[in-house]
Amino acid sequence: MPAFASSRSVERRVRPLPAILPIGVLLVAGALFAVNGFASARNLANLGLQASILLMLAMPMTLIIMSEGLDLSAGAVLSLCSVVMAESLAGGHGIASALAASIAVGLAFGLANGAMVSLLALPPFVVTLGTLGIAEGASLVLTEGNAVSGLGSAIATLYALDVFGLPFPLLVALATWLTTYLLLHYTRFGTYVFAIGGNRDALVLAGAPAWAYHIAIYAFGGLVSGVAALLLTGRMNAAHPTVAIGMEFDAIAAVVLGGTSFERGDGRLLGTVLGVATITVLRNALDLLGIESSLQVVSIGALILLVIVIDSLRKSRRVQAA
Amino acid sequence: MARDDHDGDGSGQPAAPAPLLSLRNVSKTFPGVRALDDVSLDIRAGEVHMLLGENGAGKSTLIKVLYGAYRADAGTILFEGKAVDITRPADARRLGIAVIFQEFSLVPFLDLAQNIFLGREPRRPLTRLIDHARMHREARGVLDSLGLDYDTRALAADLGVAQQQMVEIAKALSQRARILVMDEPTAALSERESNALFALIRQLRAAGVAIVYISHRMQEVFALGDRVTVLRDGRRVATLSAGEATPDELIGMMVGRAVGAVYKRRQYGAAGRIVLDVRGLTTATGVRDVDLNVREGEIVGLSGLVGAGRTEVARAVFGADAIVAGEVRISGASVEGGPERIAARGVALIPENRKLEGLALKRSVQDNLLVASLWKLFPHGWYRAGSAHRHARALIERLRVTPPAPRRLARALSGGNQQKIVIGKWLAAGCRLFLFDEPTRGIDVGAKSEIFALIEDLVERGAAVLLISSELTEIVHVCDRAYVMRAGRIGGELGRAELSEANILRLAMHET
Amino acid sequence: MSGAPETAVHPGGQWRHRLAGDAGALVLRAALIVLVGLALALASDAFLSTANVLNVLRQASLIFLLAAGLTLVILCGGFDLSVAANLTLSACLAAGVIKSGLPPWLGVGTALACGTAAGAMNGLAVTLLRLPPFLATYAMLWILQGLAFHYMGGQEIFGFPPGFRALGTGFLFGVPVPVYLMAAVLVTATVFLRSTNVGQEIYAIGANPEAARLSGVPVRRRQMLVYMLSGLMSGLAAVVFLARVNAADSGMGEPLLLPVIAAVLIGGTSLFGGVGSVLGTVLGAIILALVINGMNLLDIRAQWQPLVVGVVLLAAVMVDLVGRGRRERIG
Repeated sequence: MPAFASSRSVERRVRPLPAILPIGVLLVAGALFAVNGFASARNLANLGLQASILLMLAMPMTLIIMSEGLDLSAGAVLSLCSVVMAESLAGGHGIASALAASIAVGLAFGLANGAMVSLLALPPFVVTLGTLGIAEGASLVLTEGNAVSGLGSAIATLYALDVFGLPFPLLVALATWLTTYLLLHYTRFGTYVFAIGGNRDALVLAGAPAWAYHIAIYAFGGLVSGVAALLLTGRMNAAHPTVAIGMEFDAIAAVVLGGTSFERGDGRLLGTVLGVATITVLRNALDLLGIESSLQVVSIGALILLVIVIDSLRKSRRVQAA
Repeated sequence: MARDDHDGDGSGQPAAPAPLLSLRNVSKTFPGVRALDDVSLDIRAGEVHMLLGENGAGKSTLIKVLYGAYRADAGTILFEGKAVDITRPADARRLGIAVIFQEFSLVPFLDLAQNIFLGREPRRPLTRLIDHARMHREARGVLDSLGLDYDTRALAADLGVAQQQMVEIAKALSQRARILVMDEPTAALSERESNALFALIRQLRAAGVAIVYISHRMQEVFALGDRVTVLRDGRRVATLSAGEATPDELIGMMVGRAVGAVYKRRQYGAAGRIVLDVRGLTTATGVRDVDLNVREGEIVGLSGLVGAGRTEVARAVFGADAIVAGEVRISGASVEGGPERIAARGVALIPENRKLEGLALKRSVQDNLLVASLWKLFPHGWYRAGSAHRHARALIERLRVTPPAPRRLARALSGGNQQKIVIGKWLAAGCRLFLFDEPTRGIDVGAKSEIFALIEDLVERGAAVLLISSELTEIVHVCDRAYVMRAGRIGGELGRAELSEANILRLAMHET
Repeated sequence: MSGAPETAVHPGGQWRHRLAGDAGALVLRAALIVLVGLALALASDAFLSTANVLNVLRQASLIFLLAAGLTLVILCGGFDLSVAANLTLSACLAAGVIKSGLPPWLGVGTALACGTAAGAMNGLAVTLLRLPPFLATYAMLWILQGLAFHYMGGQEIFGFPPGFRALGTGFLFGVPVPVYLMAAVLVTATVFLRSTNVGQEIYAIGANPEAARLSGVPVRRRQMLVYMLSGLMSGLAAVVFLARVNAADSGMGEPLLLPVIAAVLIGGTSLFGGVGSVLGTVLGAIILALVINGMNLLDIRAQWQPLVVGVVLLAAVMVDLVGRGRRERIG
């Protein structure tokens, strides 16, 4: 037992900073100095835009992973929402109704995922693998495999907008971060995310409808995907049915790198943000160095494994010390 | 027989304050077992009411009825004189009944204030956002009232077991608990921590809270208790005031069972060579410097209260848990490693939890029976279904498993038959040492008898048996001799002549 | 005894709720095949032609070869998300070897070696590093996929010697070659699972790993074995697939993942381990091949396939769940 266990006084223990922080700083420094073209204003601005969508996907993914779950369908659902939004715009509707349609689709998938995981106790990775297929299929069917264009200029204009000096996409991403933060730390829903991951029985004992909150976690993911479609569609002023498939991998990687664990209901939004930044910087730097996407993915995959192992080691060391 | 003297002061006159909670003729039956039998009990405000009884006496069931996990089959519960229905934990909570668990109740990565208010987080009126300031303020208040200087922003995961327990109490208090039920709270605490807990309890008592306290430590019973209720076989034997009783008297009430042993040994063992020799065994799971041995032809009991470390010893011997220090010798040769190595040396473990650790419920009886002896029966690795079927049928016959259907799924069998299969799985493997952990738990009387017959059969053929059991009668009547464990150590050894329930309990509960 | 709170547990479905034993489950699948076949025969004239039926069998074989290894892993209580990516990488490497002029059997060997190596990495991740199987194999999926992308450099490799191609497209006594391979794998795997000690141990581990461990079964060694076997099967499937489509590209394996998982689950193997059979997977593969064939015959566009398979997968998982009665939570 820790030495202080018998004392009547307990201090809040200082949480160790996520390991990603020094790694990220090193990476950015390295990129700034060693990679040609990285430090240009244009490249950095581009980076910010690229990171925005990933950040939006990674926020709810943090909550899902904290609750001992996973959402493999996030990328496919995002693509589908983008397609729905584009079809709506191409059909002459305004941004507002297009956005509403997009959110509705995202929410539907989120609720379906949540219901199967929470009520039927099915393993999340299999469930979301299934909904991944359904979402991907739906995208392909709706578009016949082609991109959807002819959306008019409204959404592209919105995307290029500068609000108080901040690009619109970045603003939306930051707003998502803020919303997630508020949810996690200032609402019952957020508190219960910790509980569902850390000790679901405690929540049930406390009389709260844990099953409903569990569904809500996935529903939130679907909703955010619906909003993120705005950025995705605006960036290209078109929708491509499979463009975002695979983005969930980066989102999961960002969450894991940021220190959120799969098993204990421990979550760090800031860590996820750092993870997003790291992955974006890493990919960008490797791009500029001419290293192709496939190897980038290999290295990120290896990084994930490494972080998971370190996490397990840290956990067992802590258990031994206790 | 229970005297109709609920307040235990012997005067025969009605007690002055009306009891806070009363159980009247409460019964609870499970298939084959009468867990609570017509129990009537009073709990008063501002008292520490000790509940004593050996394992299986009904204490756990009583607690569960109190907080709504079980519903009583018969009888009434009165709260402040009025009949109430407790069917769910929420009902109990509303009445102000709180139970302190040792696990399951804190969320590791939420801070103390959040844990204390889990499910009841105070929110700001307009925005419905959580009012952290108020939550921490009130948490601070509760912790202060208990004299605890914990930072409310500390995470539950950062706390040691003792402190988590304190927070559990704070949580119960913040729900205005009027009755606090504590189940062996000092089991994981050091002496200092226990004293701190006692001081807290006295404080609560002074404030009018009723505390129901289950304990196996006589010291605590007399240091802390106002009244003591003894349960035995689901019945309330007596309620005494702590001042009146003596330890021996209490022990006597706990054990005095009607004679009629569950099983009669044909003959007690003429012991042969030492098969199991354990020296200085220490593990991370709580075993401390244990020495014991078992010889061929003996049934050696390993007794003690729940949590004393008996299962941990068996698991360590079998290689299921790591050994930190000490040595285990099987037939003279030192052994180490995991279960596969140990089993290969002819050691069998019949685990405590047969459903989770002893059987693959979704597989057939036959599959379960043969899994530990595959390589003995088919040394070249070729599993022949016909031969396997015959072996299984032979085992089923020898064990008298009903129904005698090798293809039936294990999950469809009764507890007794399932246990026979767990034992049977080792029979074909030719084991010399059998470690039985609570082999007759949850089994009806008929099956118990059969299982002991099986065990005796084994030792008659020269095997050595270590028998862990919480039922004192079993140890007394079935074993040749017994070790009694206490807090991870061997409290003592009892030979055939000294083996009695009272002696076992004395060794199990007495603290030097 | 510490009073652990009793969250209501719905007991596992009684044995009588299952069809009597595995045999019944297989009969049910066979009946399903007949039903689907009948429906297709009614819906389309082209269905019952010899060519089409053989085509279905060939398609089923391809799915099955990949699904067989996965079946072993799932039976043992694990999971492998990387089977399709493994196939991709193995096939691409083999293609490279063959195209560079080396003898085809060397290409086959490469595929088998690559597959087994990847399987071994999965095995190490699960047994040594104790990573949860779906996480470890998910990361491996991306690593293998990435390596394949890198190796292919966005190109395609096509045009293989006819002898090699016969493995995928050829006929032997009127039956497609892959069907023979399917039969061979079916027999070997079934013998392995039912008639060897190791096979029995695999079922035991899947049904209850802790009970198996406490019965003296060498759990980690067996887990390592099944992951390696799964990898080997991916390599074999890669060879057959490569021979069939006569081309290798870095996206070839991806559309197989969902159908393969669906085939295993439809075939009656439980996600939770310990229950199921390779024969069931054959039936599952046939059902899936029928579904895909049906969509083609009915002129349903290829884009619908992922969607339909996704639905089929979820349906299979839910049926598995209901059949086992594993509801365990109230909250």
